[in-house]
Amino acid sequence: MPTDETFLDRPLGRRTLIRRGIAFVSTAALMPPAFVRAVFDEASVASAAEAPRRVLVILQLGGGNDGLNTVVPYRDGAYHDARRQLGLNPESLLHLNDEFALHPKLTGIKELYDQQRVAVVLGAGYPHPNRSHFRAMDIWHTGSTDERVYTGWLGRLLDATRYEQRALWHAANVGADEPLSLKSTSSFVPSLASVPAYALQVDPQFPRQADRRITDWLRLYRQQAEGMARQAEYGGQLAFVSETGLEAYESTVDLRRNATGYQAKTEYPRTPLASALQTVAGLVVSNLGTTIAYVTTGGFDTHAGQSGTQDRLLGVVSDAVRAFYADLDGHGLSDGVTTLGWTEFGRRVRQNGSGGTDHGTATPTFLIGGHVRGGIYGEQPSLTRLDRNGDLQFTTDFRSIYATIISGLFGTDPADVLGARYPVLPVFA
Amino acid sequence: MPLVTERQRIQHLLRRAGFGYSAAELERYGRLGLEGTVDHLLHPEVVDDSHVDATIKSSLKRDPMEHRPSLIARWHLRLVHTERPLLEKLTYFWHDHFATSLSKVRPHLLLQQNETLRANALGSFQDLLLSITRDPAMLVWLDNRANQKNAPNENYAREVMELYTLGRGKDYTETDIKEAARAFTGWRVDDANMENMSQFARAVFTPKRHDGGVKTVLGVTGRLDDAGVIGILAEHPDTPGYVGAKLWRFFAVPEPTPEMIARTTRAYFEHNGSIRAMVRTILLSDEMYSPQAYRWRIKSPVELIVGAERALGARTIGYGEIENSRAMGQVLFEPPNPAGWPGGATWVNSTTLLARANFAHHLTQAGKGRAFGVDVPGLLAASGVQRAGLAGANALVDYLLDLLVGGDVDAMTRDVLLQHLGAPYHYSFEQAAKSGTLNGVVYLVLGMPLYQLA
Repeated sequence: MPTDETFLDRPLGRRTLIRRGIAFVSTAALMPPAFVRAVFDEASVASAAEAPRRVLVILQLGGGNDGLNTVVPYRDGAYHDARRQLGLNPESLLHLNDEFALHPKLTGIKELYDQQRVAVVLGAGYPHPNRSHFRAMDIWHTGSTDERVYTGWLGRLLDATRYEQRALWHAANVGADEPLSLKSTSSFVPSLASVPAYALQVDPQFPRQADRRITDWLRLYRQQAEGMARQAEYGGQLAFVSETGLEAYESTVDLRRNATGYQAKTEYPRTPLASALQTVAGLVVSNLGTTIAYVTTGGFDTHAGQSGTQDRLLGVVSDAVRAFYADLDGHGLSDGVTTLGWTEFGRRVRQNGSGGTDHGTATPTFLIGGHVRGGIYGEQPSLTRLDRNGDLQFTTDFRSIYATIISGLFGTDPADVLGARYPVLPVFA
Repeated sequence: MPLVTERQRIQHLLRRAGFGYSAAELERYGRLGLEGTVDHLLHPEVVDDSHVDATIKSSLKRDPMEHRPSLIARWHLRLVHTERPLLEKLTYFWHDHFATSLSKVRPHLLLQQNETLRANALGSFQDLLLSITRDPAMLVWLDNRANQKNAPNENYAREVMELYTLGRGKDYTETDIKEAARAFTGWRVDDANMENMSQFARAVFTPKRHDGGVKTVLGVTGRLDDAGVIGILAEHPDTPGYVGAKLWRFFAVPEPTPEMIARTTRAYFEHNGSIRAMVRTILLSDEMYSPQAYRWRIKSPVELIVGAERALGARTIGYGEIENSRAMGQVLFEPPNPAGWPGGATWVNSTTLLARANFAHHLTQAGKGRAFGVDVPGLLAASGVQRAGLAGANALVDYLLDLLVGGDVDAMTRDVLLQHLGAPYHYSFEQAAKSGTLNGVVYLVLGMPLYQLA
């Protein structure tokens, strides 16, 4: 069997070595290597270039969204007892069935749910939950509770599927902060704030200098990547910066070549999240070969005065997701686009004394669009059999959701990416 | 070989303990010598910085207490114009350490917090920590103003241990957090002067909202209040261990050894918890000037912008850079979460690198009416590097490389810059100024990989 590197368009560059060098423990030591499928399916590679067969959009809700007030077990007396002020009035809710209802601001999600395009996975968590935002975030990003894992689950997925990742834009982060989820050992992932801003600007005063400037900018990057960076005293950082710059420039050219006249088919709300999702829609429509897109929104850490804040934030999320799918529907592309909405933990069952909730554990997670079969999956954690901190006990390991995506959307063995087997949920048709 | 001469060491020191240097600054510090410079930096109180206030007054468009961009511009102007670079560098360090954001806190409170950080930046860590615990912006940010007897709120108690003192995963438990939260009860923010924001807000202690009962935090039992818990944390050896390691990484090396951390911990306990003593230990250490310390730090966007503007004597009123900085992934007073900016390699990805190059473009762009910028021909003419021919081009490139990257580049990099100027065949200063290659060469140095490292 050939090694996976046989299939690379480009040989593993210094970048790979640098990344591996930077990681304290190479993930290869902790995870089984990603084996390339024995059969190299030319047909599937060709179709990847034609239409976006499958795109995974990650929507990160940072800060720990209160799951109990998002997917509300509205008939459970324990819910109302624990949430004297924060408990939502059942009549105001958007009912999913006779047990669960959505927060009143999630009207867009409810519409999609009614079209059987939303899967709610209950009780997502992991053993020995960590209540630190930062550690919990890392656990979800890496897909591992092992502190020594320094790559993200999506980064490893990119590494595992790179034999068919022909495009520079195979994955994209929308925003200036690249999430740990996308960190890989060998795959470059561009980040962009918006399509128009993604370019090297030149001085309009000296139009005749424009080409020369960019050429010399590239020469310096190439020179410092190849020359100076080899000198030990610069460590890995000079090589890392210069190689990222070269790839960045290449990706601007690719974007200009392919981003052809995307027009939104709906009006997006004027929120940063909606703009980010619109940028994702632009990438999908432009047929850049993007299979993973990452967007982030935050502010869910509602220790005090939760209701106003969570109302506003969930409204922003719901309206943005509604517009995103309306736009994709208009382009006839929504069947290929699945969105995973996640947060690093839910919040404590009992509200605190400041009209808020403290850090908790298990939380509902959303899969939307694409070939998702709508419905409610998993079991609701008991609101009375709590752990000794007064928190929910998880019922679905969050890596089951990752495994479901990896096998259902990417046709890859989840164990190659996650290092262990987790039950796959019957979410995908 | 890096850091051989004292001049190179001072350049390195100023990149780390300040925001780089202008030619004039470098000359001034050069006369003090390395140790003299460290002493000078550690004693900002002997430096008159009142000209900064005048600059701020004449530049700001609106009251920074009520206008976010003006709050950001105000600090930006201080960073660019201060003659107390280490004090501002540490204020910036503490802003990242006690990261508090405009996303939840109003500008007048953050202005006050910024002054609290500056006032305590080199003092006793315990004083700094207690001031921050009772800081109105912090009381809002981590909800301690809502933490009261019988209705505790754990947010501050958790982060003070995880982020500010002991560090994540150290020997404290969920019970320690819950008990400390009780000790932190009773504070609210008196912001009655909201209409008249020339008055600062105050933290007010309300005994009847305070839980006066017995608590046990980290093995110490008593009727603890906030000062009691802060005292326990400041005395705990994990605190100078955690903060000291962070300071080592901020100023010197990527991976401080346990022996190095023990050295700063000793300085801390020998000098009543003095931050100045820890920083002095680092800045005068051999490791600070070792090969491991050289050029491994990726500049943050703020460090990059401020450093370039200081070095080149940019004209600015502090507002125009905000969007550039945002595109690079950082805006002052807008850290992403209570842990501050993750920093390091996370500053660099495709979009932020393009944004760094585009900032270099904006800074060096010719023409009047720009929000901020450098008069490149004017600066270089004043520096006496306008001779024509290859010698002139060499002098100009060497001047820029010395100013911006301490001169340490390989021959090929120099060649690209010389060729950009038109050397060797047809270079003259006037022609380069007219054609834009003079601006172009400064753009290229600011945008190149090496300049992204401190």
